[in-house]
Parts: sequence; structure tokens; C-alpha cells
Amino acid sequence: VIQLFMPGGPSQVDTFDPKPMIAKHAGERPKAVDLPTLFKTTEGLLPSPFSFKQYGNCGKWVSEIFPHTARCVDDICFIHSMHTDIPEHAGAMMMFNLGHLQPSRPSLGSWLCYGLGTENQELPGLVAMSPRAQPRGKSAHWGNAFLPGAYSGVYANLHSMKPESILRDLKHPHLKRAEQRQQADLLARLNRLDLERQKQDQKLESSIQAAEMAFRMQFAVPDAFDTTRESKATLELYGDSEFAKGCLLARRLVERGVRMVQLSHSLDHYDIAWDTGHEDIAHHRVLAQKCDQGIAGLLRDLKQRGLLDETLVVWGGEFGRAPTSQGTTGRDHDHHGFTVWMAGGGVKGGFSYGTTDQFGLVAEENPVHVHDLHATILHLMGLDHERLTYRYSGRDFSLTDVYGRVLHEVIA
Amino acid sequence: MPGCAVKFACLFVVFFAVPARADEPVADTSPGGELDPTEGHWAWQPLCRVPPPKAENGARIHNPIDQFVVAALEAQGRMQPRPATAPVFVRRVFLDLIGLPPTLDELRQWVGRLDGGEGAGGGELKGDAVAELIDTLLNRPQYGERWGRHWLDVARYSDTGGWTHDDRPLPNAWRYRDWVVHSFNTDLPYDEFVRSQIAGDKIDREASIGTGFFALGPTYASDGGNAASIAQVVGETLDDRVDTFSRAFLGLTVSCARCHDHKFDPIPTLDYYSIAGVFNNTGEGETPLVDDNTVQVFHEHQKPINELLEKIRKSRETATKAKRELTEDEKKQIAAWQKEADDLKAKAPPKYDFAHTLHDRSSVDMAVALRGNLMEHGPAAPRRFLKVVAGDDRELFTKGSGREQLATAVVDPSNPLTVRVIVNRVWLHHFGKALVRTPSNFGMLGERPTHPGLLDWLASALIESGWSIKSLHRTIMTSATYQSTSAFDETAFASDGDNRSIWRMNPRRMDAETWRDSLLAVTGELDLTVGGPAVADIVGSNRRTLYAKVSRNNPLASDKFLRLFDFPIPRATNAKRTANVIPQQFLFMMNSQFMLNRAQALADRLQTESGPIAARIEPAYALLYGRRPSEEELRAATDFLASGDSAVDRWQRYFQVLLSSNEFMYIR
Repeated sequence: VIQLFMPGGPSQVDTFDPKPMIAKHAGERPKAVDLPTLFKTTEGLLPSPFSFKQYGNCGKWVSEIFPHTARCVDDICFIHSMHTDIPEHAGAMMMFNLGHLQPSRPSLGSWLCYGLGTENQELPGLVAMSPRAQPRGKSAHWGNAFLPGAYSGVYANLHSMKPESILRDLKHPHLKRAEQRQQADLLARLNRLDLERQKQDQKLESSIQAAEMAFRMQFAVPDAFDTTRESKATLELYGDSEFAKGCLLARRLVERGVRMVQLSHSLDHYDIAWDTGHEDIAHHRVLAQKCDQGIAGLLRDLKQRGLLDETLVVWGGEFGRAPTSQGTTGRDHDHHGFTVWMAGGGVKGGFSYGTTDQFGLVAEENPVHVHDLHATILHLMGLDHERLTYRYSGRDFSLTDVYGRVLHEVIA
Repeated sequence: MPGCAVKFACLFVVFFAVPARADEPVADTSPGGELDPTEGHWAWQPLCRVPPPKAENGARIHNPIDQFVVAALEAQGRMQPRPATAPVFVRRVFLDLIGLPPTLDELRQWVGRLDGGEGAGGGELKGDAVAELIDTLLNRPQYGERWGRHWLDVARYSDTGGWTHDDRPLPNAWRYRDWVVHSFNTDLPYDEFVRSQIAGDKIDREASIGTGFFALGPTYASDGGNAASIAQVVGETLDDRVDTFSRAFLGLTVSCARCHDHKFDPIPTLDYYSIAGVFNNTGEGETPLVDDNTVQVFHEHQKPINELLEKIRKSRETATKAKRELTEDEKKQIAAWQKEADDLKAKAPPKYDFAHTLHDRSSVDMAVALRGNLMEHGPAAPRRFLKVVAGDDRELFTKGSGREQLATAVVDPSNPLTVRVIVNRVWLHHFGKALVRTPSNFGMLGERPTHPGLLDWLASALIESGWSIKSLHRTIMTSATYQSTSAFDETAFASDGDNRSIWRMNPRRMDAETWRDSLLAVTGELDLTVGGPAVADIVGSNRRTLYAKVSRNNPLASDKFLRLFDFPIPRATNAKRTANVIPQQFLFMMNSQFMLNRAQALADRLQTESGPIAARIEPAYALLYGRRPSEEELRAATDFLASGDSAVDRWQRYFQVLLSSNEFMYIR
């Protein structure tokens, strides 16, 4: 899974869920949109400052601020009827990534690693990345909470792109590889002698293997981070924003068997980038510009390498933004209805599921809660959200708690 | 686990047989006695003092513990294990009681006194010397540091708050940590220890520090003031208190009854809110640890400063409200006030010492929150103790928040849970595996005790000793059972791989603290200063690992090291450490500056004038592993050292391997 996380709440009606009715009733506040948002705004409908065009065989309408992604719509499955519990960032972000409003539960990626095990023991199973600022709530978004520590994610900052950042102590400050090999061999020899004396101990055996694995990790991780051998065409496909670097690295990691990459958008060190929509929704253009080409590059690159079938890409924020205005040019949080899209990994391409009302505030047809999205993601990864449980504190926990419905309608 | 499935099936029948409206929590509806399969559950039966069974002739019986254990082994046709050798036993006792290995001198001294004369053959250890060794270590301040840490896991102790931003500072959290260490060192009776943590503010200032158990808990906050999320965070914070309270002291998962009656234990939702109500009336604050005069002087100095800051705030607010910039005059005035305030601040005395503590703020009952949602009120939940322990005819908690009465109910000797739970926790840390393998869940889904009679015998003995934990250590550690060898036995392993019958001592991997402290101890670098504020980056310090500053959310420098070696994230009470083996641990051993420094320190310490290689290796083996190197090990060393020096001295590289070995990390 590659999650393209858009913290702060991107507006649905300015990106992938256009509503011409807003312009028709600009400034009015019809009953349908008179619902409380976070700041209990009372202003009327605010038309989108962006124009929309149709793309692809499916004829999907997409905002001018996502021109590259727009060309991939035939591979994308849009869910327009998302909704979540509360209109506050931290809680809703936790809900989106942990299925719970507080940081006390394991993250989606941690559950995936727990459920699927590892495919490449030389790399961690869950890697989180962002340019500069970590999303609000930080490590909870890729944390393991009460799951065993082996299922915890690691974090890489895309500004510095250091392999050491995802694994501490990855490099010996002085020794050469051959000298480290001698040390590793001596340790293995002494540990084997100890194992013979103790006769039987599974932990001793696995620790000898883990030490050898660590030796190899020292070289496997920098290799995954080394994008210099990518072709010029590939590098150009992604573009050169920090987010785009993350997209390329995400492909390199899933290619090597990393189970989940969580790539969060951020700009100007802001931990909830899309939140600038409060003051001026037109700022969405800058945010989109920093991620659009990288996203499209990732989808195309995965497709041409034949990886898109087995890689699920999920785009979206913790909630959306209201079609009504806040102040003169901004929009308030909207947890009643918003858009998330998925691509690859067995979902239908060029497909849209669910709708919001005619103005785009509330999920109307086929509402999808975040728990349903989680259930569906786990299902696509071959896991049953009701059976993927962990016994802790006297009961069985799961990502979706007692909720969640698999959206069979979106599966190809 | 077919037996388990059957049990579940009948529970389902019973619970679904109860007529209940799905949209309403069912209060106090556990079925009548004739139907309730939970009624006979062992954990809520009174302590049962069965006489210790008679053991066969020739068994080594030091006290009734051995009678229970040997009888159980005999019943399964197993032999009592041989005693450990003296060097192994001395290292075990040191690491177990104080979390540090013996020095070379201590090892020699105690091995000499313990050895019953049969040498390494595993003969009986001398009983009076064993008792003396235990007493010696119990009297060291390092004992409280080690055993206090076990309790801090249970208390989900952290030096910072708990919400998403993790920014609620708990600058004096360490005073609770030191209070716990001190309580163990002075052998504060366990019932007093518990009472202080629930309601110490009702006892005295010293005891009030104990309420840090709750006052330092994670407190959740809303990110925007939305009513639904405020209700949610209040509910979540109360849930931490109920969950930690019930699992830590009682081994009950009351938190499962937050939204609906407990699915498996007789804990109705009403009981959850009876306990939550006590904490809902409780506030968290500061208790000064200095005399009243100092506090008064501090506040007298703060008063004019606060007045000036308030004037500045008001002035700015007036301008903002009128939607205008500050005038030049106003700016000047503000600057003058600010300067005056700064001058006063510079002269004011620093903040006095204080502890994070609890206090009562009201005395009202809560309503049941329907489906856990505090915005939807159900029936009132009178504050009182749990039905499963105290029965139907319970005292109502009406004094203040009700914490004092709650504390009394918890440590009432007629409550069998509190005493069984602590005895089991102590056993766990001595043996690595508990008598009840689910130490914080004694309910229907928890495990049954491996030795029920022994558990209750120990529980009764603890109460009779005046709840003395040190006396419990002595009883357990002087038993032949504790002195058993950890040697592997193929036949026993085949039929009881989980060692439920205690056919040997469990070999244990050190936890993060013991391992790091031991590394610093053998290199002679460990700083044994006791207590004080937390150390931000423990890896760069020589203090004991206990003093690392830990957080609940975003790992601080210390957390990153600790979590690598399975230190539990202190967001919820933790009964038992896991011991995961992961490659990242070996990256730390191979490449970290910490390990390179230890290797160098060890090389410096064992520096001898040139001589045979063995002359330098033998002291290293004695110091690290408490034994002599084998021929094969000497050969391995010779081979390695022959490779010569590189960027790092060969001896240093060699010692780094010895420090990274499994043998060093294991307690056997």
C-alpha cells in the first residue's frame, strides 16, 4: 500500500467533486448546507476559484490544479461519499490512520505488517515519509501502540533523504565492510558455542539470524535510497519536488517488499498543510502543484512496471472542506462529506462511488465511513478486518473495532 | 484450544439469553446465580489456605513453595531440578534484585560462601549464605531502583503528557518515580503503597506524591473545541484512569464495560461509571514540597508580574477588538510594562519544588454514558466498589470524590484480588513467567494459575507479614525452586515447553535497563547517583537507565534507545515486557557510539602489560560471564586478534563482540 496522505483537509469541491450548483447559488445558504462545521460558520456558498475539465475515457471532471493526476483518472477509483466522526485535525487524522480518535491504537500500516508479515527482512515493513514537517500527531500515524515493536513504522524526512534516518546506527563510523564481517563472524561463532551449551533455545537461534540480518541491512537500506541509477526519463516523470522524491522512493520501497509507505504532504514546515484553506482556498493551487506531478508519475511508473495491480495507492486527507465560505475566500472543515481516491491494488479504474449532496457538503449516496475504507483496504490486501485481531488488555482489538463494511462495489 | 471454544460457546448462550434492549446498556443484569457461569471463577473466591502438600522423601524442601511445586512435578512424573551452580546463582540474584551484575570481587566472595563444597557439580547452596546475600542486596538503594521500575511499567509512568502533541509538561514527574523507588527501599507495606497512590493526598504530603500514579496519566485534549470531541476526550481520559486502576491493582479489565456490560466477566456498565465517577470528581494539580512561607513568598513575587502581563494583554485586546493597530503611546506603555515585568522576574525566587498530585473537586455521581458517549446520559451510577468483589450490598462512596473509600475497598483483606495480583507480579519478575500468565487480567479470559494453592499461600503469607514486599522476596528466593538450574531437559521440554510446572528456572533475556546498566557496570563507568530529574538523552549519560526521560508519543532521544529493546510505550499499564529479537538491536550493537565507547572502556580497564592473550581474556570472561573461557573460545579469540589492528584497535573490536553476545544478555 502506498498512502498519499493529505493532512489538513483538501477541499472536495475544488479538486475532484465539482458542484456547479454552488456557483448558481453563490452567496446563498440553502438549508442543505446549514450544518455545523468546526467554527460554526454562517456564510453562504463560495464558488470554486478553479475551473474543471473532463478527462479520460470515463470523462471524469477534475480541477485545473491537478492536471497530471487528471490524466490518470482511468486508473482511479473515486469515493466521493467519505465521512468521519469529528471536524478536528488531530482526532480526525488519528481516525484516518488508526481507526480511532486518540493515539492509543496501532496504525493501519502496523496492522498490515502484523497481518502480512515481512517480505524483505532487510527493510522495515512500514516506512513513513514527508517533506520536512511530520503530520500532526507524528509517530502515532505509523506507530504500533500495543502490537509488538517489530510492527512499528520508521520515518524518513524527504528533505534530507538520509537512509540512516529510517534506521539508526546503520553505518559503522570507522570500519570497512570486511572488518565488520570478521566481527559479525566472531559474534556468530561465540553465540553458536553458547547455543550448543544451552542446547535448545529458540530466542538464541533467532538472535544469531537477526545479527546476520543487521549486517546485510547496512547495505540494503542505502541501496533503496539511492535514486541516482534511475533513468532520466523516470526522474523527469516524477518531477523534482520533495513530495515527488517521496513518490519515487515509495515505488523503490514497495518494489523491494516494504508493505506500506505512508507519504504525507507538507509545505513550509506546516504539519497540516491543506489547512491553509481556512483563509484562502486558492492556496490549494500551490499545494496541488507540489504533489500533482509526483502522484501522476508514481501511478504511471507503477503501471509501466506492472506493479500497479499489486500496489494499492490511496489519496486523501482526514476530512474535506465546506462548500460555504469562511470569511471571504476560505472554507471551514467538513467531516460530513469528502473525497478519497484509490488506484491499483484490485480496485476499479475510471470509477466513481458514492456522492455528496448537490452542493458537496454531506455524503448522500452510499456513505462510506473511514472504518469502511479500512475494511476495504485490508480486504484488498487479503485480510479480513473482523479476523485480524490482537488480544490486549483483556479483549481482542482490531483496526475497525466493531465497525467497517468492505466496499465490494469498488473492487474490480 | 478446543476447551476454550466450548467455554466461549456456553458463555454466548447465557449472555444472549438475557433479554436486553440493544439500544440501552444493561445495568446490573448479570443473570441470577443458577445461570451465571462466572460465579465460580477462581479469582473472586476468597483466599483458600490449603496445607502445603507433602513432598516425596529426598526432595529439597526449603519452605512450602517447594512443597507445592514438587508435588505438582511429581504428579506429572517429573524430577525436581538440580540447584544452579554458585556463580550462575550469584549473577542471577544480583541481576534480579538490583539489576546489576556482581563485580569480580563480589562474585568471588559470594561464590566462596555459597558453595556447599560439591563444586561445580550443582550441589546444595548454603542456606544461611543465600539469606545473607539476599538481605545484603535488599538493603542497597539499587534494589528500589530495579523493583521500582517494574512498578513504573504498571503505572505507565512518563515524563511528558499524553495527547497528540505530547506537550503537557510534567516537569516534576520524577518525584513520583523517586517516591516509588523510596517506597520499595523502605519496604512501605503494599497496602499503604496502594492507598497512597489512590488517595495519598488524604494522608500526608509525602503520601500525596503517590497520587502521581493517576496525576501523571495521559490526559487527552480536543484540537478545536468541538463539543463531540470534547466529550470524547473526557471519556478517553477517564477510561485511562478506570483501566489503569482496575488492571494495575485488581487484575480486572473494567474498561471493557465502558460501552456495554463486560462480555465475559460479571462487570456491568453501571460498575464502570461507579468507578469513573470517582475520578470524574478528582482534579489534578500541584502539591508544594516546601513550607507554606516559601510558597507564599513565591506567589507574592509573581503577583505584580502577573498584573503587568494582564495589563499588556488587555491593552492588546482592546486594539484587536477595535480592529486597529496599537498606537505609538500604547506600544511605549507596553514596552515599559514588559521591562518592569522582566526586571521583577529576574529578582523573583524560582518556582518551589512540587509534585503532580490529585485532589477532590466535587462529590457527585455520574450518569452511565450510553455506548460510551458522554453526551448521551443513561441511569445514574452511584459511586461504589465493584459488585464482583464487594457483592450487592456495597457501601456508597460519598466522602468527597470517593477515592479514600475506594482505596480502603481495594486493600481490604477480604478482597482477594489485590493481594493475589501483587504476589503474582513479584513472582513474575523473579521467574520470568508468572503463576497467572496474564498478570493484569484475572478475569474469565485470563489464564488460570499454574499453582493455585501456592498463589493463595503466598497471598496469605504477604498479608500476615504486614504486606512486606521484602519479606515476600526472601520467601521466594530462599526456596529451592528459585535456586533451580535453568538447564535444558529434552523430555520435560517436549511435554511442557512453556515450563508451567517449573521444571527449571526460565532463562531470561535482559530488559533494556538491565542490559544497558550491566554494560556500564562491567566497564566500570556506571554512575550510581540515586534520584533526581530525568536525563534527556540517557544513551549519552552514565546514569542508570531508570533515570531516562521517557515520553508517551514522539520518541525523545532516550525513548528511541529504550523502545528498540522493548521498553513499553507508557500509554497504558504494562504487566510484562516482551523480548523481541530484531535486527535493529544488532545495528545498535555493531555501530552505535554507545557500544564503541563501552568496548573502548572495557579495553582500557583490562589493559595489562604484554603477556599471553589468555591473560587478558580470562578476566574478561570472569567479569562478563562469571566463568573461564573454553579452549574453543580462546582459539576464536586468537584467530580474531591475529587479524591485526584497523581503524579501531583489535582488542576494542574483540571486546565489543563479547559485550554484544547472547551470554552477556541472558540471565540464567
